Amino acid sequence: MDAGFWILQFLNATQFSMLLFLLSIGLTVIFGLLHFVNLAHGALYMLGAYIGISAAAWTGSFWAALVLAPIAVTLIGAVLYFTLIDRLRSAGPMNQVLVTFGLIFVFIDLVRIGWGDVALGLNAPQVLSGATDLGIVSYPTYRLFLIGLGAMVMAILWIVLSKTQIGAMIRASVENEAMAKALGINVGELFFAVFCVGCALAGLAGVAAAPVLSATTGMGISILIPTLIVVVIGGLGSLEGAIVGSFIVGFIETFSAAILPGLAAILTYVLLAAVLVLRPRGLLPARA
Amino acid sequence: MFFQSHARTAVLLFVLIGLVLYAATGSYFAREIVVEIAILAILAISLDVAAGYGGMVSLCHGAIMGMSAYTYAILSVKFGLPTLPSAVGGIAAAAVFGTAVGWITGRTAGIFFIMATLAFGQMAYTLIFKSRWLGGDDGMGGLDRFDLSWLGINLGDSLSFAVYTVVCLGLVYLAAAWVLRSGFGRTLSGLHSNEDRLQALGVNTVIHRARALGFSGLLAGVAGILAAQHTLYISPELLFWTVSGEILIVVILGGLGTLVGPIVGAVLFVMLKHEVSEYTNHWHMVVGLVLIAAVLAGGRGIFGQIEYWAADRRRAGKEQSAEAGDA
Amino acid sequence: MRNKVATAALLAGLGLAGTAFAETKVGVILPYSGTYAALGNEITDGFNFALEEAGRTADFTIVQEDTEVKPPVGLAMARKLVLEDEVDVLVGVVSSGVLGAMRDFVDGAGVPLIVANAGNDGATGESCSPFITRVSFSNGQVNRPMGQWLFDQGVSKIYTLAPDYAAGHQMIAGITGAFEAAGGEIVGGEFTPFGQTSDFGPYLINAQSSGADAIYVFYAGGEAISFVKQYGSFGIDTPLYGSGFLTSPLYVAAEGEAAVGVTTGLHYVPTLDTPENVAFVEAFQAKYDRTPSEFAVQGYDAAKLLMGAVDAGATDRASLAEAIPQVSYTGPRGPLMIDPATNNIVQNIYVYETVMGDDGTLTQKVVDTIEAVQDAANGCEM
Repeated sequence: MDAGFWILQFLNATQFSMLLFLLSIGLTVIFGLLHFVNLAHGALYMLGAYIGISAAAWTGSFWAALVLAPIAVTLIGAVLYFTLIDRLRSAGPMNQVLVTFGLIFVFIDLVRIGWGDVALGLNAPQVLSGATDLGIVSYPTYRLFLIGLGAMVMAILWIVLSKTQIGAMIRASVENEAMAKALGINVGELFFAVFCVGCALAGLAGVAAAPVLSATTGMGISILIPTLIVVVIGGLGSLEGAIVGSFIVGFIETFSAAILPGLAAILTYVLLAAVLVLRPRGLLPARA
Repeated sequence: MFFQSHARTAVLLFVLIGLVLYAATGSYFAREIVVEIAILAILAISLDVAAGYGGMVSLCHGAIMGMSAYTYAILSVKFGLPTLPSAVGGIAAAAVFGTAVGWITGRTAGIFFIMATLAFGQMAYTLIFKSRWLGGDDGMGGLDRFDLSWLGINLGDSLSFAVYTVVCLGLVYLAAAWVLRSGFGRTLSGLHSNEDRLQALGVNTVIHRARALGFSGLLAGVAGILAAQHTLYISPELLFWTVSGEILIVVILGGLGTLVGPIVGAVLFVMLKHEVSEYTNHWHMVVGLVLIAAVLAGGRGIFGQIEYWAADRRRAGKEQSAEAGDA
Repeated sequence: MRNKVATAALLAGLGLAGTAFAETKVGVILPYSGTYAALGNEITDGFNFALEEAGRTADFTIVQEDTEVKPPVGLAMARKLVLEDEVDVLVGVVSSGVLGAMRDFVDGAGVPLIVANAGNDGATGESCSPFITRVSFSNGQVNRPMGQWLFDQGVSKIYTLAPDYAAGHQMIAGITGAFEAAGGEIVGGEFTPFGQTSDFGPYLINAQSSGADAIYVFYAGGEAISFVKQYGSFGIDTPLYGSGFLTSPLYVAAEGEAAVGVTTGLHYVPTLDTPENVAFVEAFQAKYDRTPSEFAVQGYDAAKLLMGAVDAGATDRASLAEAIPQVSYTGPRGPLMIDPATNNIVQNIYVYETVMGDDGTLTQKVVDTIEAVQDAANGCEM
């Protein structure tokens, strides 16, 4: 195991962490802000992948798919928001879990009806296919693109949340909703906007992951668990928590797979259990 | 707090007798459905004890049941023990697993508790899935049912087995109701409604939560034994988290915190699934839509909603008679 | 009922007495939801296609049930089909777990079962049954021939990868045993968490740095797509071999160019140039507008065996169980017979390379044939 090996595995871990980040940031902010447990977040990711594949087939362009899929998923999210989510905000976590569980079933069967049961794939655009020489190692160009995309989203969200007025409003609302309302913040609009951004990011993650993975009807369920683990390890509602959680889970999964494959399946769960025993509210919860 | 109202007794007896009659008069497959309902109902009661009364929404009840089924299989198949001690061992293993999860997660609440239980359940699933000794994903066969021939009962017969599972369901209900009405049941409800105050009173809530989940696990263990005896074959599927999710659905669909509701939920869920799957392979979608509709209709679950209406009418009735008294 | 009698009378009147009088009731037990729904549909299409092609759909009453790929559900459905619908024969089973759950019941009830997919070696080994006939493949059978073949190609060191579940272990055991017996060396290998692994990058890099001449893998479905694409994107120069499910026609299109050059072994390849197969592929394509996969052929041959048994005069469970393994014929995948010692199929294994066709779609080029591959009894006592 030379230096090249470690660099490659480091890049793999970073790439996987970025994917987890794109998914978990939406989920955690929706948790933190709306107090809404959206188990259908993984299903939105799945829809992003399938819609992206169709969009790429129709337009003939990956880049069009990369834009269209998040927009489509956001529209679906907006419909969900007005028909279900908004109504269920005060219905308690049990009912939210139940409805979003139901939504998973519905979305999976809709995908089966629309796209069939056979797994599908999406080709990376020509510019991003192949590998890039990084000096010591060469690494798949598309994966480098994913790392860049994740880093870009991370930077934008950080700037928006910490430097802009909207960010201040979001943080205030996460901290104390009643106080935020009293300060004249239109909490309803803010929630809607945040929910849409979360959906867009889930759709973006789906279409962006499609060239690396494959689109299957089980992908929404199987990504849900690692995403929830990231959110819970990081602590609800905070950008920092999502970043830290994504990197912890991404690196543990990748390096256990590379070095201790026998333990790869179980290590993340052990980690989650350990964090919850020692820090029952996660590592970096938004509210003290 | 748990009350065994007349309405609850009536619905319970109605369902239990209905299940026995359905099994007795129906075809072979009707009996399969009765067994499926009874096992799911026991699991749902077990989860209702934890979630509805103790506020602990667990996503590891499938794993708890699976621990019981696997222990039963290990003791009877691998170590050649008779079925009865194996079953006791299986139920004990489920109770111990439940207690351990309850104790370790004692300080977590809400979504964190859900996730923690999910983690422990998935750990158990993964370990069993990976175990070559236990057959991995191919599972284990060669199990036996109880030999009740000294009672003149042949559990190998599908009708006898169906009735046996319904009897177990009745016993589990009685056990749950009895425990919930005891002092422990009151502490449990206190945990749910006001944990901070109990802590302030010097009550060690972690121990109580562990005991509650242990008792809940014991009941789920009964379901595990029945599941193993039903198919005479077990596989890691039993422990997968979506099984726990399904149990949760049944509880909420029927009515959380009513103990009878989960039984009603199990009946409806299994019937709905079989009826719809006759017509389409997309029965999951129909179940999903029913779930959403059930929540939008009030979120109290079917039995919970009926009790709510009944209480509403009683309240209205009282107000009327009070007015009459005034006049 | 009246219809059946009428048809029989009509056929007798027309002098078609050779056609079976009594309908045979068939329980088709396959996954139509869950991970393997695509396989269930493919096998069903192949099965129905064979009956239609022979013009004998009227001779068989078919009851379909969904196993959801869950062993307890599969068992419940098998019981329902046997005890309530009183079928004469069961056909199907995709997952070995479901087969394991059903095995004792089917054996005890004395109902013939034609296995149209599940590859667990033990099913026609130590837990074989005179009532269970497998017309698909065994996990060892598909991979074992590749051991000697690879070694003959000059490959002396391989690294193996497969999902960490029973089938994965058996597939890899098949190749490693045969490869070592041929004189090759296994320099390493891993089993990846099944259903949890989406990023194969870490494993691919381990494989690349292992010093192997070749990587040999078993993956199927979504995992196969992810694996092949990721193998391609890393630009790994160690050539990739595997069991043929890796580049199945069912999903090779989704793998794209990364699949080009991957060489694998399987019991059926749609581009096989035999008169039987060319006719089959043409007719199947005309009806379903897609290339038949190995799964469709398994369903097709299951129906062929069933029809062959009925033609031989079998009418009830016992006679069907006896007659089904006696059927042998040359079909799309070449000569096919059932090994009387195990009731497992004896068939050719084809080594094929995935290549880019003239029309820009991926296709298969058969590079070698290992004939009449037969499993050892593996502890099977009928």
